Amino acid sequence: MLLTFVGIAVLVAAGVASAANGGFTPPAPHSPNAVKTNDAYDVILGFTGAIFLLVEGVLVTFIWKYRGRGRSRTDEGVQVHGHARLELIWTVIPVIILCVIGLVVFYELPGISNAPAAANPLRITVEGHQFYWQFDYPNGARSINDLYAPVGQVVDLTVVSSDVIHSWWIPELGGKIQAIPGRTNRFWFKADRQGTYTGQCAELCGLYHAKMEARVIVGTSADYTRFVTSTAKTDLGRAEFQGACATCHGMQGQGGYGPNLASNPLLTQPSALASIVRNGRNLMPAVGDTWTKQQMQALAQYVKAHVYTGAAPSGG
Amino acid sequence: MAARSEAVYPVTWKSGRVARWLVTVDHKRIGIMYIATSLFFFVIGGILAVLMRAQLATPNESILTKNSYDEVMTMHGTTMIFLVIVPIMAGFGNYLVPLMIGARDMAFPRLNALSYWLFLLGGVVLWSSWFATGGTAKAGWWSYPTLSESQFSPGHGQDYWILSIHILTLSSLATAINLVVTIVNMRTRGMSWMRLPLFVWAMLVYGILLLVALPTVSAAVTLLLLDRQAGTHFFIPSHGGSVVLYQHMFWFFGHPEVYIMALPAFGMISEILPIFSRKPIFGYKAVAFSTVGIGFFSMLVWAHHMFTTGLGTGLDSFFMISSMVIAVPTGIKIFNWIATTWGGNLIFDTPMLFALGFLALFTMGGLSGIFLAAFPVDWQVNDSYYVVAHFHYVAFGGVAFAIFGGLHYWWPKMFGRMLDERLGKVSFWLMFVGFNLTFLPQHMLGLLGMARRVYTYSHGGLWEWYNLTSTIGSGVLTIGVAVFVANVWIAHGLRKGVRAGNDPWLADTLEWYTTSPPPEHNFDSVPYVTSARPLRDLRRRLAEQT
Repeated sequence: MLLTFVGIAVLVAAGVASAANGGFTPPAPHSPNAVKTNDAYDVILGFTGAIFLLVEGVLVTFIWKYRGRGRSRTDEGVQVHGHARLELIWTVIPVIILCVIGLVVFYELPGISNAPAAANPLRITVEGHQFYWQFDYPNGARSINDLYAPVGQVVDLTVVSSDVIHSWWIPELGGKIQAIPGRTNRFWFKADRQGTYTGQCAELCGLYHAKMEARVIVGTSADYTRFVTSTAKTDLGRAEFQGACATCHGMQGQGGYGPNLASNPLLTQPSALASIVRNGRNLMPAVGDTWTKQQMQALAQYVKAHVYTGAAPSGG
Repeated sequence: MAARSEAVYPVTWKSGRVARWLVTVDHKRIGIMYIATSLFFFVIGGILAVLMRAQLATPNESILTKNSYDEVMTMHGTTMIFLVIVPIMAGFGNYLVPLMIGARDMAFPRLNALSYWLFLLGGVVLWSSWFATGGTAKAGWWSYPTLSESQFSPGHGQDYWILSIHILTLSSLATAINLVVTIVNMRTRGMSWMRLPLFVWAMLVYGILLLVALPTVSAAVTLLLLDRQAGTHFFIPSHGGSVVLYQHMFWFFGHPEVYIMALPAFGMISEILPIFSRKPIFGYKAVAFSTVGIGFFSMLVWAHHMFTTGLGTGLDSFFMISSMVIAVPTGIKIFNWIATTWGGNLIFDTPMLFALGFLALFTMGGLSGIFLAAFPVDWQVNDSYYVVAHFHYVAFGGVAFAIFGGLHYWWPKMFGRMLDERLGKVSFWLMFVGFNLTFLPQHMLGLLGMARRVYTYSHGGLWEWYNLTSTIGSGVLTIGVAVFVANVWIAHGLRKGVRAGNDPWLADTLEWYTTSPPPEHNFDSVPYVTSARPLRDLRRRLAEQT
C-alpha cells in the first residue's frame, strides 16, 4: 500500500512538473466570480488535503504497526470496544471544520453570485441549441458560438434553451449554469483581460454534445462596438453555417453525419431552405426554430455563395 | 440410492440439477443467483466502460461512433447502478441476513423468489434494447427530459429503459419489504438490536431507504412514459410542463440511492475489519447509529445534484448544509474503522486487503464530495470529469472494493471452498493500482475543463496524457477483475479450492456457526445470543471447558 501511495505521489508530482497548473485547481480565473470560486476551492483544498494526509497517514501507520507478523489467528488484539471521549472528539472536529468551510463559502458567495452593483451591465442572451450557442446583443445583433464582449465590463447573461437542457460553462469566467427549456437562468462575468476563452456544453444534450463548444472573445470596447454594429451582420451567414450546419454536414458541406449539401440545389432556394432549417426533417433537429428572417437570408446568401458547388453531374 | 433419499426428501422434478435453482424459494440459492447475475452484469457493464476508455484514450478517436458512445455510456451507468450494485447488495442481504440473525429463511420466501426473477427480467429488458429500433436509450442514466422525450429520443430504447426501471423498482420494493420484516421479526433468541451484526443494521436501513425512495423514481419514469406514449406534457415546457420537476423527482430517489449502495458496503466493512484485526468493532453504537443517521440525512440532500439548475441561493444553501451534515456520520464511520485496526493483530488475507483498500479510496471519494457540496465550487466542478472521478471513488473504490472484500470473505461459507489467497492478493493489487490510475487523473481532467459524457475531445497535451493514463489504468483494473474470475474458476471449475470448515476465519457472527455451505434449513440449533459476537463467546466457553 505504501508503494502505491509513493507511486501516486510520483504521478502527481510529474503532473505538477509538466505544467504550472496540471489540473489540481480550476484554470487561472479571469473574472471576479471565478477568482472567488477559486479562493473557496483553495480553502477547501487546504482542509481536505490536510484531512486526507492525516487519515491516510494514520491508516498506513496502523497497517504497518499492527501487522500480524505471522501471529496466529487465535491471537487476539486489544479488546477495546470504543472510547466515548475520542469518538466525541472526532465528531466535533469535523463539525467545526465543516462550519469553517461553510462560513468561507458564504463569505465568498456574494462576490460569486452577484454582479458588481455599480457597473452598467451589458445584457446578452445565451440560447442553447442542439448543437450550438446563440447570442443576442442589446442592439439586436446575433452571433453563433462566439460571444463577443468588452474587457472590464460586467456582462449579464440571460441563459435559456429552446430544446433540451444545456449547460453554459467557460471555466476561466466562472462556473456553470444550465440552459433549461421553459426557464430563465442568470449568470454574469467581467473579463479582466482581452483574449479568447473557451468552454463546452456541460449537460448531455444529444449526439453532438461533445462538439457544442463556445468561445468568449473579449476585446476592447471599440472592438465590441465594431462587432455588434457591423461584423455581426456581415459574418452572420458564415457563423450560422459553421456553427449550426457544419457540425453534421461538414465545413464545406461535404457531408458527414448528415448528407452532402454542396451539390444540393435546395441551397439556392431560400424559402425551402428556411423551412427545413426552421422545422427540421427526420434526424435533423429544428436548428433554426428561433431564427429571424434576416438570419435566414444571411444563411441563404452564404450557402449559395460559399457552399453550393453546383448540382451533381447526372448519373454521378 | 433413490430409495435412501426418498426416505428423507421425496425426489421430484424439482430436485433436478437445474430445476432446483429455477423453483427455489431458499434465501441462500436466491442470494447466490442474485450475486451471480449481478456479477455477470458487472462484467458486461465493465466491458462497456473499457470501450468508453478506449474511445477516450486519445483525441478524436473513432473506436466508437458518437451514437454508440451515448448508448454505451447510458447502458454502463444504468447497468452498474440498477443491475450490479443494488441487486448484488440484495443478494448478499438475502444470503446473509437470515444466517446472521439465526433465522430459517426470509420472512416471505416466495416474494423473495419473485424479486429475483423480476430483477432478471428487468436486466433482460434493459439489455434487449440493443435490438430496439433506434438502439438503446441514449440520454444518460438520469434520462433528463426533454432529451429523453420522444421528440429528441425517437425509437424505443428509452421506452425499454423506462420499462426496465419499472420492473427493477418492483423487484427492489419486494426485497426491501422482505428484508425489513425479516430483520424486525425473525432475530433469534437473545439477539437484541444492540447485538445485531452491523451488516444487518445496514441492510435494515437499505430496505427502509428503498421503500422511501423508489416510489418517486417509479412515478418520474411513469410520467415520462406517459409523455412519450400517451401525449401528456408533464416534462414538456412548451406545453406547460416542467423539466426541473423531473430533476427533483429523480434525485429525491437518486441520492438515497447512493446510500442504498453505500450502506451495505459500509456494513460489510464493519464485519470484515474486526475479524481480520482480531478485535471488536470500535464503537459499535456509533457505527450502528451513524448508519441510521446517514439513512435519514440521505433523504434531505437530493438537490445538491441540481446546484447548476439555478435553484436560488436559499435552496442551494440548505442543500449545501445538509450535504455537509451527512459528512459527519460518514466521518465517524471512517474514524471508528481505522480505530478498529488500532492495537490489533492484523491479518492481511484478501478480504482484509479489500477492506483496507476501501478505507483508503472511500476517504478520497468522501473528501472530493465536500467540494461538490460547496455549491459555488460545485458550479465549477459539477458535470465535469471531476464528478466522474468523485463518484467512482465512492461507487467503485468504495462500494465495489467492499463487494470484492465481501465476496472473498463469505465465499467459503457460500460454496464450501476457499479461494486462492495468492491470486486474491494479485487481483487486489492490480485492482487497487488500476483503479487509481483510471480515476485519479479524471479529477484533473475535470478541473482542466473536460465535461462528462463527451464522446471525444480535441485537446492534446495534458488532456491527452491524463486520458491515456486513465485508459491504461482501466486495462490494469480489468486484468485485476479477470484474475478474480480465474481464481473462481480454479477453485471450483478445477476443484482446487481447499475445503473450508464451518468457520475458516474464526469469525464472530452466526453464519459461521453452521456448515459451509449451510444446509437448506440453515441451522440444526442456534445458540442463545448474549453479545454482538456470539461465535467468539462460544469459542471462549469451549476453551474454558477444556
